[in-house]
Amino acid sequence: MAKISWRVWLLIVALALSLLAIKPSFETGVIIKSVEPNSTAFEAGLRAGQIVKAVDGEKIESIEDYSLALEEFPTNEKVKLTIQTKEQAHILFTNKTPEVTIGKIPSTRIRFGLDLEGGSRALVQPEEKVSASDINDLIAVTTERLNIYGLTDIVIRPVSDLAGNNYMLVEIAGATPSELEELIAKQGKFEAKIGNETVFVGGKKDIASVCRNDASCSGIESCFPVQGGEACRFRFVIYLSEEAAERHATITSELGVNITEQGRYLDEKLDLYLDDKLVDSLFISEDLRGRVTTQIQIQGSGSGTGREQALDNAQAEMQKLQTVLITGSLPYKLKIVKLDTISPLLGERFLYFIFLAGLSAILAVALIVLIRYRKIKSSLALLFTSFSEVLIILGIASLIGWNLDLPSIAGILAVIGTGVDQQIVILDESRTRQLSIKERLKRALFIVVSAYFTSLVSLLPLYWAGAGLLKGFAVTTIIGITSAVLVTRPAFADIIRKIEE
Amino acid sequence: MAMIRAFQARYPGSNPGPRIVVKMEEQTEQAGKKSFAGFHDKYYKMLLVIPTILIILSLSYIFYFYSQHNDILRKDVSLTGGTTITVSGTVDIIGLKNALQNLNDVSVREIYDLRTGEQVAFVVQTTEEISEAKGVLENFLGYNLTDENSSVEFTGSSLSSAFYSQLRIAIIIAFILMAVVVFIIFRTFVPSLAVVLSAFADITMTLALVDFLGWKISSAGIVAFLMLIGYSVDTDIMLTSRLLKRREGTLNSRLFSAFKTGITMTLTSLAAVVVALIITSSFSDVLQQIFSVLTIGLIFDILNTWVTNAGILKWHVEKKEGRR
Repeated sequence: MAKISWRVWLLIVALALSLLAIKPSFETGVIIKSVEPNSTAFEAGLRAGQIVKAVDGEKIESIEDYSLALEEFPTNEKVKLTIQTKEQAHILFTNKTPEVTIGKIPSTRIRFGLDLEGGSRALVQPEEKVSASDINDLIAVTTERLNIYGLTDIVIRPVSDLAGNNYMLVEIAGATPSELEELIAKQGKFEAKIGNETVFVGGKKDIASVCRNDASCSGIESCFPVQGGEACRFRFVIYLSEEAAERHATITSELGVNITEQGRYLDEKLDLYLDDKLVDSLFISEDLRGRVTTQIQIQGSGSGTGREQALDNAQAEMQKLQTVLITGSLPYKLKIVKLDTISPLLGERFLYFIFLAGLSAILAVALIVLIRYRKIKSSLALLFTSFSEVLIILGIASLIGWNLDLPSIAGILAVIGTGVDQQIVILDESRTRQLSIKERLKRALFIVVSAYFTSLVSLLPLYWAGAGLLKGFAVTTIIGITSAVLVTRPAFADIIRKIEE
Repeated sequence: MAMIRAFQARYPGSNPGPRIVVKMEEQTEQAGKKSFAGFHDKYYKMLLVIPTILIILSLSYIFYFYSQHNDILRKDVSLTGGTTITVSGTVDIIGLKNALQNLNDVSVREIYDLRTGEQVAFVVQTTEEISEAKGVLENFLGYNLTDENSSVEFTGSSLSSAFYSQLRIAIIIAFILMAVVVFIIFRTFVPSLAVVLSAFADITMTLALVDFLGWKISSAGIVAFLMLIGYSVDTDIMLTSRLLKRREGTLNSRLFSAFKTGITMTLTSLAAVVVALIITSSFSDVLQQIFSVLTIGLIFDILNTWVTNAGILKWHVEKKEGRR
C-alpha cells in the first residue's frame, strides 16, 4: 500500500468535513415551517422546526399524506386532533386546519435559492438616493409590518451595488401572499388614537422626530427584581408638532384619572395602530392631561429570568416601539424595481435537469480524457477530483448558509470546467520525460496558481455589480477555485505522481 | 501438438521485436512533426493574418452594429426591463404568438421534457409591466395565473439599466485586473500582451458573432463573457509558461507539447459545455445562454491561442534567440 501524502490526507479531511456540513438526512415526515402566533396550534406547543410524524395515528411521510389526514377540516364542531411530532404528541381541539405551514424535510443542509425552490423576491428602491442607515430603518419598519401580517418565513436585507445605490431585498420562501406588492411598496399607516379620536398619525407633519441611539433621550433607565426574575425599564422621547401637541391636549383634557398601584394614569390608553391593526397600548400619565407639550416621553419595560435577558427584552421592546412610531414617516417613496414570483413546481424540474447536466458534463470530460490518455486510473482520479471539488463547494456553501441560486449553479459548472483544465495541465506535465516528477509537478502547479489568480481577479467585480443578484456566481466560483488550488489540485498532483511512479 | 511460433525470448524485457516497431512509429511521428515544424516555421507569421482579419472584421461589425442599434449588443428583458412569465402546461405556441401581438417586443418560447420531447411549459417575454402582460396572457389562456401554475419575473427599467452599466464596468475591471496579473506573472511585455490580446480577440469575435446571429443577451449572457476571460487565459498561461520558462527541447517541441495539452483542455471544456448546453437548453434560458456563449468563445479560443498567441510568442522567442 502506497504511503498517502499529507496533501491527499488534507483532501480526505476536507471531503469528510464537507459531507458533515452538508449533513444528509434520511428522516421521514414533514417539517413545520411556521406557526401562526397565538393560534390553537401554537398553544398546543407546535413550533417551527418540529417534524410531524403522524396525525391521529396515521403515519405521515409526505405533504400529500398530511393534507389527506386533515381532509375533514373545517368541521362544524371542534374535534380532537393528535399531532405526533418526533418528540411528543400535541393535542388540539379545533374545527379548522391547524394554523401551521408545513414543508418537505430538507434531505441535506444545502439550501437552494428562490429561483429553484419557489417563492418570491422583491427588490425595493427608494425613489431618491438614500444612505445605508436609511435603508436599515426601512428594513426595520418593513419587517415590523410584515410580522403583523403573519409573514414569518421571510428574509429582508439591504443590498447595494457598484454605483452606490441602496436597495431593500425582500425574499419570501414558498407561497406568495397575493398582497405582497401592496405590502412592501406602500408605506405603513401609523395612527395613535385615544378612544376613537386620532391624536397623531405617522409622517413628519405630526411626529417631528423619534429619539433613538442617543443616550440623553433614549435608553434603559433602571432594572429591578420582580416576581420570577428581573425587569428593566426603558424610556425614549418623541417630538410632536405643535398641531399634534394641541390635539393631544384637547383630547386628554376630557379624560378622567385612574389610580393604580403603579401610579396615576388617565382612564383611556393611547392605542398605537399599524395598518389599522392594534400593536400596542400605552398608559398616559396624569401630568399629561390637557397639557400642550411637543416632547412626550414613552416608557415601558421588558422582563426576563435574569438581568441580561431583561435588558435584552427591554431593548427589543423599545426598538419595536420606536420602529412603529417612525413607520409611515419615511421621507421618501418606494418603488419595486424587481419582482419575481417563482413557482415551486418549475424549480423542482430545474434541479433535476441541472443535476443531469452537471453529471453528464463530468462524464463527457472523463470519456475524452480516457480516449486521450488511455489510462483508466488517471481518468478515475480526474473524475474523483472533479466530484471532490463540487462536494467541497456544496459543503462550504452549506456551512456559510449560502443559498444556491441559478447563478451559483452556473458558477459550480464553471469550476468543474476550469478544474478539468488544470488537471489536464498537471497530467501532461507529469508525463513529460525530462526532469524529476517533483520538478514537473512544481511547474504544473505554477501554471495552476497563475491561472487561479487571473480567474480570481476577473470574478471579483461581479461580487458587487448588479445589486448582488449575480453574486452567487462569483461566490461559488471563488469558493471552488480557491479550495481547488489549496486542496484538490495539489492532492490530484500527488495521486498522479503515485500512479506515474 | 505442433505449433509454429515466432522467436520469443523468455523474458519480455529482452524482446527486441516490438521495441523496433515502437521506435519506428516514433520516428515516423517525429518525421511528420518535422515536416509540420518546417511548415510552421515558414508560415506561422502568415497565419497571423487570419486572426488579424477576423479581429478587424469583428470590430468593424461591432462598430457598424453600434451605429445601427446605439449599443454593442441586443439586450433582453433582464437588461432593458420587462416581464418574463413561465407557465406550466401546454399551449398552442402559434396561436399564442398571434394573440400576444399587441404586447411590446414580445417573444414566446416553449420548454420541453428532454426525455419525451413533450411540451411542459412555455415562456413569454415582453417589455411590458406585469399587470399588462399577465392580463393579455390570462385572456388568451382562459384561466388565472397563480404562483402554483406560473412564475413571473419582472425587472424595472431603471434597475436593468443600472445592471447593464455595472456589468459592463465589471467586465472592463475584470479584464484590466486580469491583464495586470498576467503582466505580473510573466514580467515581459510582448508575451503578456499576447495573452491579453488573445483574450480580447476571443471576446470581440464572440460578441460579433452573437450580434450577427441576432441573439438577445441577458445579464447571465454577460456573465458568460466574464467566464470566457477565465477559460481563455487558462490555455494562454499554459502555453506562455511552457515556451518561456522551459529550456529543455527545441522551441517547436515545446510548442507542440503545449498544443497537445492545450487542445485537450479546450476540447474537454467544449465537451462539458456542449453537453450542458444540450441538456439545459430545454428548460433554462439563463444557463442555455451562458453555455452557448461559452461554446462560441471556446471555439474562437482555439484559433486565438494556437494561431494568435502562439504566433506572437514564437516570433518573440525567435527574435530574442536570434539576437543572442
